[in-house]
Amino acid sequence: MSEALGLTPVKDPDKAYADLTRREYLDFKEGYGDFEKEMIQKAKNDTSLIDDAREDAALAASLSQGVVDRQAARYGASLTPAQMQQQQRALQRGTQLGSAQAINDARIAQKEANTALMSDLINIGQGVNRASQSQLGSAAADATQRKNAYTQAKAASKAQTYSTVASLGGMAMLAFAF
Amino acid sequence: MGSSPKQSDYAPSEAEKASAAVAMAEYNHFKKEYDPLLREMRDESKSESAKSTLRGRTNADTMQALTNNMTYGQTQSNNLSSDMSQAYQSQLGQANARAKDIQNKMASNVLGTARGQAADAQSGMAQASRLATSEALTRAKANQDVRQAKLNAAVELGTKAATAGASNLASGGTFFTPNTAGAGNPVQLASGAKQRLNFSKQAGTF
Repeated sequence: MSEALGLTPVKDPDKAYADLTRREYLDFKEGYGDFEKEMIQKAKNDTSLIDDAREDAALAASLSQGVVDRQAARYGASLTPAQMQQQQRALQRGTQLGSAQAINDARIAQKEANTALMSDLINIGQGVNRASQSQLGSAAADATQRKNAYTQAKAASKAQTYSTVASLGGMAMLAFAF
Repeated sequence: MGSSPKQSDYAPSEAEKASAAVAMAEYNHFKKEYDPLLREMRDESKSESAKSTLRGRTNADTMQALTNNMTYGQTQSNNLSSDMSQAYQSQLGQANARAKDIQNKMASNVLGTARGQAADAQSGMAQASRLATSEALTRAKANQDVRQAKLNAAVELGTKAATAGASNLASGGTFFTPNTAGAGNPVQLASGAKQRLNFSKQAGTF
């Protein structure tokens, strides 16, 4: 009944635990290792907002001109050559100014985005670092405990052996009336 | 003298087995149901879907604000296309920045969650190694106890043998065989277990 519901007996919890934790680490490396590296590179080098702002400048100019032309056509309005020239100049000027502002804004936004992402990554990395140091500390403490226990056991064994030999010698002396 | 311990006496209790089985089932459930969701979110954070949505929305907002109810007079204006171009660029810039924020937040959340799982695994590994340490110490202590017990047994046997040998020699016999006639009498070495037993009883060593 339990097995049918996915409750498989665990015969060796110690080994299962070790396997699971090892698998979890390998899963992370396989699923998120490259993703993590990409994000670090992105936080350092991303310029997509600035690139988009440059592309949008050309897009905005043609789109705006199209809108104005369609509206004028809808009203049946016709512009004099001088008006058309002025509109073109104004559009070029406006687009250039808008482009300069948009790119400058994009630089600031890019800087903010990259800094925020880097801060998040550093926080994540700090957590990893803290966990690793704690783990290493535990391993070192365990190793010291093992070493101390071994030293104590060796000393106790040696003491017991000397005591036994002394007892044996004493008995022999008594038995043979030395 | 007690019998040697049975390994079955040290098997995990029913509660321990149930706890381990439930924990393993929950872990498998998590890996099957939730892990794919996190991977989907990872892929989503790499896509440009948020950017596309926000730019589309911005485009619609800008056009609605600037071209709705446009008058004839406005079509004659020199600055209309210029103003529209600047406004459009500004709005698109904001949409891009907002999309980037969403994308980066999603990505760092995914990484944080995945890293959290890895950190749990690391602390789990530390616990596992601690359990192993405890086992190693227990095993070492047990081996030590067995070695000491063997030595004690050998010493006890040696002591008894030495005492018996000394008694045999004192009776006038050899180290391994007593003189059943007694000390000072002609030597009659014991033959057979019965004579040896009688000698031990008389000597008070048995």
